[in-house]
Amino acid sequence: MPEITFKDLSLKDFDLTKRANDLRVAYFKAMPEICTERPHLVTQFSLQEGLFKRPKISILDKARLYRYVLSNRKAIVWNNKSFKKGMIPFEFNDNSLFAGSTTTKFKGVPLYPEFLALALWPELWTITKRANNPFYISEDDAKELNYNIFPYWMENNISELARKRMFEENRTKLKIDKYAPEMKLLERIVFFLASKPNCISHTIPDFSRAINEGLRAVIDDAKDRGSKTSDTSQKEFYKAISEVLEGIIAYSRNLANKAKEMAAVETDRTRKNELLNIYEVNSHVPEYPARTFREGLTTIWICWIACHLENPNVGLSLGRLDQVLYNLYRHDIDNNVMTIEQAIELISCLWIKIGDHVPTIPDAGEQLFGGTGSNQAITIGGVDKEGKDAVNDLTYVMLRATELMMLRDPNLNARYYNGINSTEYLKRLCEVNVTTRATPAIHNDKAVIRALTGKGDSIEHARDYGVIGCVEPCSNGRTYGHTGAILFNLTSVLELTLFNGRHRHTGMDLMISKETGSPVNFTSFEQFQKAFEEQARWLVTQATNLNNIFGKVHQDYYPTPILSALFEGPMEKGKDVIQGGAVINSSGATIIGLADVADSLSAIQKVVFEEKSLSFKEMLAAIENDFKGYEILQKRLMNPDKTPKYGNDDDAADKNVTWLITTLDKVFGEKENYRGGRYRVGYWTMTNHAGFGRLMKALPSGRKARENFTSGITPVSSVTPVLTKTLNSVAKQPAECIANGAAFNLKYTPETSTTEKRDVMLKNFAASVEGCFDYAGTGTGAMEIQFNITTHDMFVDAVKNPDKYPELLVRVSGYTAYFKDLNPQMQKEIIDRTEYLLSNGNYVYYEPFPLQKK
Amino acid sequence: MGLNLDLWSTKIKDEIYGEVTDEFLELLLKGMDLAFFFSSGYRRNIDGFKGRYLFRTSDNKVAASAIFKDGDMQVRDSAIADWDVRVTFKNAKALRDFIFSKNQDILNSILANEVEVDGNLNYIYKFGFLARDLGKRLGVA
Repeated sequence: MPEITFKDLSLKDFDLTKRANDLRVAYFKAMPEICTERPHLVTQFSLQEGLFKRPKISILDKARLYRYVLSNRKAIVWNNKSFKKGMIPFEFNDNSLFAGSTTTKFKGVPLYPEFLALALWPELWTITKRANNPFYISEDDAKELNYNIFPYWMENNISELARKRMFEENRTKLKIDKYAPEMKLLERIVFFLASKPNCISHTIPDFSRAINEGLRAVIDDAKDRGSKTSDTSQKEFYKAISEVLEGIIAYSRNLANKAKEMAAVETDRTRKNELLNIYEVNSHVPEYPARTFREGLTTIWICWIACHLENPNVGLSLGRLDQVLYNLYRHDIDNNVMTIEQAIELISCLWIKIGDHVPTIPDAGEQLFGGTGSNQAITIGGVDKEGKDAVNDLTYVMLRATELMMLRDPNLNARYYNGINSTEYLKRLCEVNVTTRATPAIHNDKAVIRALTGKGDSIEHARDYGVIGCVEPCSNGRTYGHTGAILFNLTSVLELTLFNGRHRHTGMDLMISKETGSPVNFTSFEQFQKAFEEQARWLVTQATNLNNIFGKVHQDYYPTPILSALFEGPMEKGKDVIQGGAVINSSGATIIGLADVADSLSAIQKVVFEEKSLSFKEMLAAIENDFKGYEILQKRLMNPDKTPKYGNDDDAADKNVTWLITTLDKVFGEKENYRGGRYRVGYWTMTNHAGFGRLMKALPSGRKARENFTSGITPVSSVTPVLTKTLNSVAKQPAECIANGAAFNLKYTPETSTTEKRDVMLKNFAASVEGCFDYAGTGTGAMEIQFNITTHDMFVDAVKNPDKYPELLVRVSGYTAYFKDLNPQMQKEIIDRTEYLLSNGNYVYYEPFPLQKK
Repeated sequence: MGLNLDLWSTKIKDEIYGEVTDEFLELLLKGMDLAFFFSSGYRRNIDGFKGRYLFRTSDNKVAASAIFKDGDMQVRDSAIADWDVRVTFKNAKALRDFIFSKNQDILNSILANEVEVDGNLNYIYKFGFLARDLGKRLGVA
């Protein structure tokens, strides 16, 4: 157990350095710019090597491609130009301690024509001016994409390859042409979303070997293993590993040489020395073991860039950096190689670098699901593999850097093991939340470890979990879990059950799933539950089938040698992660609309079947009319005193949540993925609860058409007036069925006007976490809690005056975002979340915020 | 329909910004065809491009096809088989909003089940660019 050497855990004596502050100012000023470097190099190599004509792309082909890209990309040490609002160019002093960048831009939008980049095609002339999150693109780059890049990928991106594969299978099996039922469900959007058409991501690489041994040692190991095996696919795999790692080393060397060139002509002595330092560091790592904390961070940064050349960054996460880097940190501090201030500055510079790119989102995506970053999670704290306290000095350094920088990426996640981690540590986590308004999320180690071991992970692996994307726990660097593979709209299952296999959104004359009987004829709630389970099983089957087909297409066309080289398992098995090379092979689904469906079940149970005060026919009529003419019924359904609502510690309501969670765990758990692993279920919704909410009609819970659903595992807003009851309702849900993580969103009023009030708030804040993580002293509790600590008035003002709040950080449902970037629907959802006063534990009433137009 | 590009510009502008009529699809396809003929810059967009598009209304009363081949575009006022992509639209307004994304309604068109696309979506992205590129060149969109 590492000794904590800081007397003041807040490290408040350390402020932002000028370097970090300058970079931060430029970062917030800079608009994202589309970068065509990667698609240009990838297309060029694919044409040269005839990859477009291959029936399959081997891992060695891919490795050669990435080596080509890494070796030929522009070496950018510092990037001191960008565009500000209005697309006006500006310059600044970039003297980051880390060279290299994900794109050629200071804040870039990388493009992946292998995936969904072609969706930007119609927008090439307008994307600079679009209302939601515009991207700058030069006319030359737009022409390059239109003429020389996009046309080659029309038949060759993952979606199209998967669609063709399904056609071929359906042509023989179903005797139908040009039609893939699962794909059609995906295209109709309201049922589920699949993320494989956009990436293989949502996982955590293992950086420890690159840091401790260096990539040259991994290359030597791959060569040795390759020479000893007679299996041709393994030989090819090991050759591919060498190829990509040589590419990564070449990129770092190119950066080093560029820095040396720049130093030769630099007249400012300080900058000259900084460039020579970069030369020295990048000449050494990641090829050889890191000798200093800075070299360790550089190793991670260079490998991180490489990972993003391979796959779009959708929740690719960095894992337990305070553990992986602690020895280097300790060594440098103890030997006076580095001061605490320098450590904070290094972390701050890395945080800026990590956010140097934003996801490619077409306008249609922005409208529904906009505002997201890349959701790059970093995990700190918790326990180690032996179950001992893992919080160390570096944990606090990272917290301080996060507090000072207040950035969207990385998404900081803190683990807390009640009884092993100190209460001072928990209080510090609460304090950083109050300062930053939205980070870090706090994870309950006891519940998470129980959830992972329940799915077969060893206790050591479970204890060594890191958080992915939003909140998903996976064993660090050894679980390939693609935790965001399926985003499942649970309210569509309810819809199919209510309307006997049909869906109001797609029209009542179209049979979507199967007939499970009209609920009008049901005589018991159990009958309704049985029908619901059948519909759930049907939709889960469609979603997992589609994910598996996409997975097979990835196996055939999109091997992942870079990720495989940085993962535990593939080297031992001689197999790519996408083929099942990782130690643990799971897939993740996340559920949208849990509380809304649970409250609907409770309403049906209570009003229709128990009280019999309303027939099912009348219930259906009420929701089909969006409660017009049924206003009294709607009020009654929304009243927690009359209709059980999740979030009020009401067993009748909470049991329906538990039933849904256990049912979905069972139904998804029955499905095998394309790598031989199982599906795990979580409850985090990103912005999808607002997006899906916009599409769906009224529900028996009393929710009206088009209103937002509730985020994550959180109870419905405005019907849960007492904080402790809300905490209890969430805490009693079975963690062992939530192995893919859960986001529990809470909003606290900042009560910090005096030191005394602030102290009380922090004390109560910590107590609320403790209570939720240890429900009624049972040792069990909620998986995670995340917070927004901003006043209602400030949110409202930020809607009206977005330019006043460019840096206002919010917790959405899993990740952090800048409030100004969110679409109006999502802004409304955050404003309307129930807000509690920690001083008395009660909610603060506000009128629902009207939906704005952007 | 007798048409030159100036007249087309006026008419399509009316359709994009004003009340859309049943002529919209015909106007769009024939305007494109005309522009490919007159503008080498615009024609460059379809160098080497092969694609077969079928547009039809949900009730099958209106159908039109566009065939791109050998740097040329053919427009037919009937359905073709063997399409790469098929767009089924409820009415002209839905199609206009879908293609020109007026008021950013592209998604709403799909979500409201006003437009349904079968086949390779990349062809629609390409078509969306062609339509907007023409609009940009003529200053109408």
